[in-house]
Amino acid sequence: MASTEVQSDSDDGMDEFMDKFKTQRYKNAFTEKNWEEEFNKVPMFMKSAPEEIDPQTYPELACLQSMIHDEDRSPEEQAKSLKNEGNAYFKEKNYKQAVVSYTAALKKKCGDLELNAVLLTNRAASHFYLGNMRSALNDAAAAKKLKPDHLKALIRGAQCSIELRNFAEAVQWCDEGLKIHPTDEKLRELRAAADKHKRAAERDSRKARAKEKKLHGEKEALLAAIKDRGIKLFQPVRPRPQGSYSEDEDERSSAAAVAQLSLDGLSSQEVTGAQVFLDEQGVLHWPVLFLYPEHQQSDFISAFCENNCFRDHLNVMFGEELPPWDSDRKYHPQNLQLCFEDEEKETLYQIDLEASLLKTLEHKRCFVKAGTPSFLVLVKGSSFQRQFLSGKKIHGL
Amino acid sequence: MLSDSEAAELRSFLSPGTRADVKAKATDYILGLSGHRDGCRFLRTKPDLMASLLALTSDPCVAMVKTCYLALINLSADETLHQILVKEVHVVPVLLQNLVDPECQFSDQICTILSNLTRHQRTCRAVFQVLQEDVGLVQLVEIFCSEGFNQKANLHYLGPLLSNLTQLPEARACMMDRDRCVIQRLLPFTQYEASLVRRGGVIGTLRNCCFDHTHHDFLLSEAVDILPFLLLPLAGGEELSEEENEGLPVDLQYLPEDKKREEDPDIRKMLLETLLLLTATRSGRQTLKEKNVYPIMREFHRWEKDAHVRAACEKLVQVLIGDEPEQGMENLMEVEIPEDVEEKLKEADSREQEELQEEEQERRRQEEREAETNRVD
Repeated sequence: MASTEVQSDSDDGMDEFMDKFKTQRYKNAFTEKNWEEEFNKVPMFMKSAPEEIDPQTYPELACLQSMIHDEDRSPEEQAKSLKNEGNAYFKEKNYKQAVVSYTAALKKKCGDLELNAVLLTNRAASHFYLGNMRSALNDAAAAKKLKPDHLKALIRGAQCSIELRNFAEAVQWCDEGLKIHPTDEKLRELRAAADKHKRAAERDSRKARAKEKKLHGEKEALLAAIKDRGIKLFQPVRPRPQGSYSEDEDERSSAAAVAQLSLDGLSSQEVTGAQVFLDEQGVLHWPVLFLYPEHQQSDFISAFCENNCFRDHLNVMFGEELPPWDSDRKYHPQNLQLCFEDEEKETLYQIDLEASLLKTLEHKRCFVKAGTPSFLVLVKGSSFQRQFLSGKKIHGL
Repeated sequence: MLSDSEAAELRSFLSPGTRADVKAKATDYILGLSGHRDGCRFLRTKPDLMASLLALTSDPCVAMVKTCYLALINLSADETLHQILVKEVHVVPVLLQNLVDPECQFSDQICTILSNLTRHQRTCRAVFQVLQEDVGLVQLVEIFCSEGFNQKANLHYLGPLLSNLTQLPEARACMMDRDRCVIQRLLPFTQYEASLVRRGGVIGTLRNCCFDHTHHDFLLSEAVDILPFLLLPLAGGEELSEEENEGLPVDLQYLPEDKKREEDPDIRKMLLETLLLLTATRSGRQTLKEKNVYPIMREFHRWEKDAHVRAACEKLVQVLIGDEPEQGMENLMEVEIPEDVEEKLKEADSREQEELQEEEQERRRQEEREAETNRVD
């Protein structure tokens, strides 16, 4: 058993001091609750440094910091310490903090060109790893200005330019660098890489241009084929804001719309995005809409060959099975009547079902709207047909 | 010609301190001498006169300096003066010093002089030695490739100079230094439209460099990538299939319709010769086959009218589509040709040249006749 005898008085008062601990609790003692927190505040035991060092909460740390960054020291010394701080952050991959340190060092504006060039280059590296290519490039350029032979700045400048896909500039950085360091392997590698990328980018733009040209050519051929057949594309005319239409103006504006064989006239409103196309044999295939006004229904044929006739399509569509919306079961192929509408003249033209699509489209009053010819389907002799046609002009076959 | 005392007097007139008009007359006289054979023969015996002439190139009077340079050009055109000019008059260091000066307005004349001096191997070697101790070949290439280095001279004649220098293996080794970036800088100039001289000089240089088959792998590798730069001047705007395009080197893919080919037939021939040189090794042949050189040559052959150039193209195509040579003969440059075979080949060659010459002349006559009939009175 250890004796707890009080020891005899010593000269330095140590005994009394030690005695106190046996009876008194010392002030600001760590409690069970706060000991971890308090430990974390002691510089030696900190797991990580705080972002801001508030002297109230971290007095020791603030003390240490002020020792390092003592304002009384020369700017060069302060800048050097800040550089070392930045380098330490950099090593830990804490690039954000590294930037802060290097910036602070640069702010000291110490006259040492070499040091400042290094600081800028280091900051450039930090920005590089943060992905801030522009800032990195600016810093590298500034470093180069201070010290044109600074190899690391030259290399960094080339690397940033490559990342920014500014390959011509990258080659320039390398060439500048190679003038001063003609045998540097990294510069040579970067130059070869940048040059390769540059030439690949040039090829890509040539390829894109070639594709565009081809597409354009195809569009032109398509429009020419349509025009040659005398098929008219209808461009909806925007109504005039005010004033009344005179008959002459009306004629002119619709004529202009008809004459405008622009690519817009071919834009399809269909969800499928189907468009008229010219096949290898020079035959047109149209997307076609069949409208059934009686039942507010429609059918869409994505590629109706211009040489096919309506009869064939109708036989396929209505021959075997009647559509579900045909409640009266009357839409048999032989009962159907097709017509197209001349909206301008509010006239309907009946279509010869044995005739080809091409023949029908050639009709002088047939206009293709939105690149999709549409046709109305009625049942001959039905009450709806009588209703629909009353009050309208209709031209027979 | 002049007596010794007259020559001495002339020399005194050429001293920098002499009155300007006297100096001018003296240099004019030397220019006159340099213009014909007898004059040159005389000057050969008087290196000190030529040295005085050289010294006057730094004279403040521009008109006189020009005369000096013209005289030097004439002198350098005379092969018999080459050794003396380089070894006794020591022209090279002075010329180089001015050449690297971006303000010098006579740089083009200097290039011409140096080109002349490097035409023949012996003096070329001497010039190269001085060059390497002085400014260095690498710096010359830098200057040549720096756009706008000299505002008063375009330095196109550095091209032929480089071409001449690379007849020496030591110059080629310097040009193809793997630790530096030298030959790479020349490549973009194979399509330099503004100057035939520059273009020809660069392509001549590249052709010379291809004589060493040990460097072929390096030249064809990504570090240099010489192939596209040799093919581009020969490629036209004809549309190739997507498949053919994708197999080509990047720079030759999807060329625009209006792509023009090299105008000068001699340069076209040089390019084809260079490509042919690159087929000497097996790996070179493989590379050219893999990179789809054949379609380019196919279209080129259709377009080419000059008989000599066509023949060169056909030779290349034969290698590209032919079978691999048998074992032991993979490196075409190292194959030993027995003497009698060599004789026969030489004969066949000269016969071929004659035929081609006739063919070419006939074609040109045809063109003339057509042009005649199309002309209006």
